[in-house]
Amino acid sequence: MMELPSTLTARDGTALDRNARGQYGDIIFGMIARLAGWSILLVMAGIVIVLVRGGWSAFSTFGPAFITSTAWNPISHNFGAATSIFGTLATTVVALAFAVPFAFGVAFWLVELAPATLARFIETAVQLLAAVPSIIFGMWGFFIVVPFMAHYVEPVLTHYLGHVPGIGLLFHGAPYGTGLLSGGLILAIMVTPFICSVMTDVFVSIPAVLKESAFGLGATRWEVMRKIVLPWSRQAVMGGIMLGTGRALGETMAVTFVIGNSNHLGWSLFAPGNTIASLIALEFPESAAGSLKLSALLALGAILMVISFITLACSRIFLRRGIPG
Amino acid sequence: MNKIIMDDSMVGNTAVSALAISNLDFWYGTNHALKNISLDFPLRQVTGMIGPSGCGKSTLLRVLNRMYDLYPGQRATGQVLFDGRNILSPGVDVNVLRSRIGMVFQKPTPFPMSIYDNIAFGVHLHERISRADLDQRVESVLRRVALWNEVKDRLNTSAAALSGGQQQRLCIARTIATRPEVILLDEPTSALDPISTARIEELLDELKQEFSIAIVTHNLQQAARCADRVAFFYMGELVEVDTADRMFTAPQAKRTQDYITGRFG
Amino acid sequence: MSVQKTSPAVGDGWQRGGAQAVRRRVVERLVSVLCYVATMVVLFLLFSILWTLVVRGGAGLSLSTFIHSTAAPGSGGGLANAIMGSCEQTGLAALIGTPVGMMIGIYLSEFDQDGRIVSLVRFVSDMLLSVPSILVGLFIYLIVVEPAGHFSGMAGTLALAVLFVPIVVRTTEDMLRLVPRAMREAAYALGAPGWRVILSICLRSARGGIMTGVLLALARISGETAPLLFTSLGNLNWSTSLNEPMASLPVTIYQYAGSAYDDWVRLAWTGALLITVAVLATNIVARWWLTRNGSAQQ
Repeated sequence: MMELPSTLTARDGTALDRNARGQYGDIIFGMIARLAGWSILLVMAGIVIVLVRGGWSAFSTFGPAFITSTAWNPISHNFGAATSIFGTLATTVVALAFAVPFAFGVAFWLVELAPATLARFIETAVQLLAAVPSIIFGMWGFFIVVPFMAHYVEPVLTHYLGHVPGIGLLFHGAPYGTGLLSGGLILAIMVTPFICSVMTDVFVSIPAVLKESAFGLGATRWEVMRKIVLPWSRQAVMGGIMLGTGRALGETMAVTFVIGNSNHLGWSLFAPGNTIASLIALEFPESAAGSLKLSALLALGAILMVISFITLACSRIFLRRGIPG
Repeated sequence: MNKIIMDDSMVGNTAVSALAISNLDFWYGTNHALKNISLDFPLRQVTGMIGPSGCGKSTLLRVLNRMYDLYPGQRATGQVLFDGRNILSPGVDVNVLRSRIGMVFQKPTPFPMSIYDNIAFGVHLHERISRADLDQRVESVLRRVALWNEVKDRLNTSAAALSGGQQQRLCIARTIATRPEVILLDEPTSALDPISTARIEELLDELKQEFSIAIVTHNLQQAARCADRVAFFYMGELVEVDTADRMFTAPQAKRTQDYITGRFG
Repeated sequence: MSVQKTSPAVGDGWQRGGAQAVRRRVVERLVSVLCYVATMVVLFLLFSILWTLVVRGGAGLSLSTFIHSTAAPGSGGGLANAIMGSCEQTGLAALIGTPVGMMIGIYLSEFDQDGRIVSLVRFVSDMLLSVPSILVGLFIYLIVVEPAGHFSGMAGTLALAVLFVPIVVRTTEDMLRLVPRAMREAAYALGAPGWRVILSICLRSARGGIMTGVLLALARISGETAPLLFTSLGNLNWSTSLNEPMASLPVTIYQYAGSAYDDWVRLAWTGALLITVAVLATNIVARWWLTRNGSAQQ
């Protein structure tokens, strides 16, 4: 064994006293970290303030009627938010009606039914679907889905469901292909992967004992899912759905391509409409700075902000509380 | 080491202390975890600390390098003298303190970097050192822990690839590379296999030539084999402290007797 | 002399439940089939999108796509300025967003002593993660474009950075929380100050995960269109100046896809193919990186 150099222990007892130099690093680092952290609060506050301030002239001109008015007339300077709010909510509802069952089906299949190696592959594929840029969904929707809807789906729906009392109203109208239904369907495809990945995570995280004891009683996989897993993970599943809702509410490009872009309010799912986001995307570039129209668009932005905040806040609360442990 | 604490009670026996604790109390929030502890750690000896889980022995170790500072709600009162200063006083630079009182943990904790950098990391913190000196330091500490021959050809590969026992020896090397005076070991072999354990124990014997060592262990045989003096803790109190021989052959306190004969713990 | 083997008779016990058992089996079967179909539909949609992109986008792909800038309908032209603009804006946004996001992630995971403010920052960062991107575009328009009086690549970069940061924040925090406490303590035990422990040990230990987050964030913003519409606007000519309107792939696709000219639509498809391939490839690399690093740490 080599002799240790004698310096190894013969250190001249470095002073234990706190010296200023050693403390600066932590103080400066702490300041930088705090500044960075607080800057995000500033950005969020900035978004809210700037939108509300920008929309103020519209809010004060039209008052509360801005929300309920269906008008959108740049010539007579009469603007209302009702149509685009309705379009936003309607497309989101359609999207969820399709996305939730599909996301659940895929998640259940991935977690319980699929062979492990295949499941990994499929899960990646589903996540890749979530990564596809929204403008691609828009183009694909415009060139593929819209003609398909116009030629096949909508005529058939009108034929079979158009005369059913009640829901028949939803399926009336000319089959343009563009409209609320197409917008909702595209959104459904976009948000399904989001909801699905939350569901998969939650279903996987359930303690094995819970499931095994149910299987031990002779329950089938579906019964275990319905009676054990779903009740146990209800909150987190809701959180995932809310997360998807938030995405659907604010999605712009995909919807703009297929919604038809018309300021029209009606029951038919085939009729062209608009959403807050699509209206902003289309009209904003054509609005003069300082005009009432621009202010009305910013006011719409503020409303969209509020709607998506509520949704996302719910989603966060559900997700934080929803996954025990 | 110009100011060395003379412990009156030990004069003529083991003479000098590396660390001297007197009237130490420690709280986790409202939980009174150490009660009025007074204990000396003799210079260049191995002091073993034994006792059932939760008795406070690991807590004591974490007081000695002020590791508890990291967690709000933990506080200590009393006196721990080291190099003439009470290390519990707020004026003490904990980073310097920790470089002079090193610590090795239960599980090996290699940093996510190369073997060489694992050792260089601690050295660079406290010294400006040339590359050649650093190379020499790395080699000497690795030889010291008997790891040099096993790793000399892969100093620049990830430390995570070493076996558990090798990782723990690397952690010891890393600790002594900063040239501490005291080394604290918190159950350093509890995660290791018997062969690696034996090598670490041999190493302790080697190291006490130059370092004062405090070791917490669950393993009574280990305490008997390695320690010069042994302290027995129970429920946050120091029950008894004596040389290892006497502790394991003729313990004074009833509770010590019960513990080492396996009646509880 | 063979011993007669008699298999025990099938007991009546297997018949328990009768009609109810049959119903349960049918339901189980039905649900399985439906789930299978749902998965197939989702996969079919993914492949339908990819197929459409390859067929329509691949047709227009040529060298001139990469070397010529956008031009008037019927006069050829490529996407060089849009590709350059996209790279410049997303690259810069990543350069700005990565350190900021990492610092915020560090703040969230290491500064628990700040209590409520940390929770608030985390909540707001989570909100920002899913805020409609068009609103970020409006925000930057109002605070950068309107005061400056013109659209600019810088404004687009800032809008993308706002979207980029929360993703990095989330992964950085998550990954730092995975760093074992023992590793931090070991570094502190060597006398390292807090900032060295965080930067040299924790970040290093979490670098695989954080890198994945950065790549995913890059993929996400490189496909964003809405926030660029009102900020960098688009530019028909080659321009790399951050102080002028700047072209980008997504905005060019948006403008061309809705046009009436066949060659513009074809170019839009080609752009869509390019951007999708880039985004998906980045995603795959990021996920591969995570699994590779994840298993190396074990």
